[in-house]
Amino acid sequence: MKHPSQETLALQAGGDLGFYARWVTGRHVAQCEVCRKNLAAFRAVREIASELNEIPEVPWNRLAAEMKANIRLGLAAGECVRAEETPLRDSPLFSGARVVVALASVMALLVAGLVLEHPAPGNTPYEGVVVQTTADGIQVREGGQALRLTHPGASNVTYSAGAQGSLRARFVDPETGYVTVNNVSYAEGE
Amino acid sequence: MRKGNSVTWRLMAFGLLGAAGLLAQEIPLTSVRVNFPPDSPVTLLSTSMGQSRATPRGSAVVLDLDMLLTLRNAGHNRIRAVTLRVISQEVALGGKASVAVPSLNVGPGEAFPLHVSLQLMRPGQMMGGPLVQVDLDGVLFQDLSFFGPDRLNSRRTMTAWEMEAQRDREYFRRILSQSGQEGLQRAMLASLARQAELPALDVRVSRGRATVSSAALPADRTEQFAFLDFPNAPIEPVNGWAQISGNEVSAPRISVRNQSSRPVKYVEIGWLVRDQSGRTYMAASLPSAESDLYLPPGKTTRVLQDTALKFTHRGEPVNIRGMTGFVNQVQFADGAVWVPNRQNLQDARLLGVMAPSPEEQRLSNLYRTQGINALIADLRKF
Repeated sequence: MKHPSQETLALQAGGDLGFYARWVTGRHVAQCEVCRKNLAAFRAVREIASELNEIPEVPWNRLAAEMKANIRLGLAAGECVRAEETPLRDSPLFSGARVVVALASVMALLVAGLVLEHPAPGNTPYEGVVVQTTADGIQVREGGQALRLTHPGASNVTYSAGAQGSLRARFVDPETGYVTVNNVSYAEGE
Repeated sequence: MRKGNSVTWRLMAFGLLGAAGLLAQEIPLTSVRVNFPPDSPVTLLSTSMGQSRATPRGSAVVLDLDMLLTLRNAGHNRIRAVTLRVISQEVALGGKASVAVPSLNVGPGEAFPLHVSLQLMRPGQMMGGPLVQVDLDGVLFQDLSFFGPDRLNSRRTMTAWEMEAQRDREYFRRILSQSGQEGLQRAMLASLARQAELPALDVRVSRGRATVSSAALPADRTEQFAFLDFPNAPIEPVNGWAQISGNEVSAPRISVRNQSSRPVKYVEIGWLVRDQSGRTYMAASLPSAESDLYLPPGKTTRVLQDTALKFTHRGEPVNIRGMTGFVNQVQFADGAVWVPNRQNLQDARLLGVMAPSPEEQRLSNLYRTQGINALIADLRKF
């Protein structure tokens, strides 16, 4: 005689089997003392579990109801907040601050490009070797190459040119305190 | 909204700082090679690279070198001037640079600083190896003896500075002895006032004739030099011309005669220009072109240069209306150097046009920063 499985007996105890399986299991249990006792045990467990819902210290149903309520409240609150903000899609694509930032970025890119490309040697017209004064020093330059001696922080700088192709800058160096003479040249001697 | 903007600006600032950090690189100490001969009377004690950095600009790279060299007098003689040659093999083909410190008084065993601040711009990226080489070109001692390879003719230049220094120290010592502390104070104040009012020209020197000239300026003309007469000068300017086109002067040539009893190997003519408002500027010096010049007594030669000089003052072209020349420096065949005396400069009213000597600049700066007592103490040192 083949006995039904424990799962089948558990489902039979809860009345969850289909019509045919329930009829077959019922006929077997009516004739089998062992399975009848197991079925009775499953029914007893179900009764205990259903009684737990009614225990006041563990209000499962109330807890579940509160959790559902909190979720609804959260959703409702979210809706309220969203209603006060301007929806992203309804705002203009470029607001004031964004336009400023975007334009500043574009300008920064353009200026950086111009500055970076300006001294490119290929763009400098060739003038031969030239010595000249600059804003903060003197330099000898040929095309895109230059060697410049600077005098940062110095005041009362005097310049003197040599017609053979040299230039001098004389100043009191603020770092050493000494009179210093910078000289650049394309000529043979100084 | 305000908080959002603040975050945006902070992000932009961080971005820019980050980009700047990526662009600029520090230059290692190995980028500079300092070469002093083994028997040099000046030795290198230390090198500091300060804020040196390399910054890419387009397809070029800009190198800013800020070096502070500490040197030591390892010889037995007092040092009066030092010249260092600064070269970069890859930059400005044929171009040279030097940094000199005149008016020194460094005793044996004493140390002194020398500041070299330079910028190189060259195509390509930063490569390995030294970018700049610093060599000793010459050291001039108190007794006018010299050490160094003298590739830049620094012996003659430093000797001329020393002659000017002796002249000006003697001049101020005489004022002190004749007019006392107040007289010296007046002389120093006059010197500082002259330096502050010195008319400054921006100059651009190129080989041959410049190709572009302003259409708004008068056409080319040949202008004759006028000359200042220094009775004690060993050289006498005879005549001279230059081509003038607006603010550009080219192809200067001056005939000079040796009126001394000694052969001369170098002549330098001071060159003044006058603009349309009558203001006079020290434009340039015109050295003799021949490196092997030998001018015997009584003979004449020409001082000339195939060069073009363009002058601007505060960004505006200086419309040149007249030129004046004077003998500024002469070196005899035996190495001795002649410079105009104080009376020459005063009589010709050159003091208000020419830059003071390095020594007068040092002494007036000493007076300005440390006062009359420090100046008097310095004048009594040597």
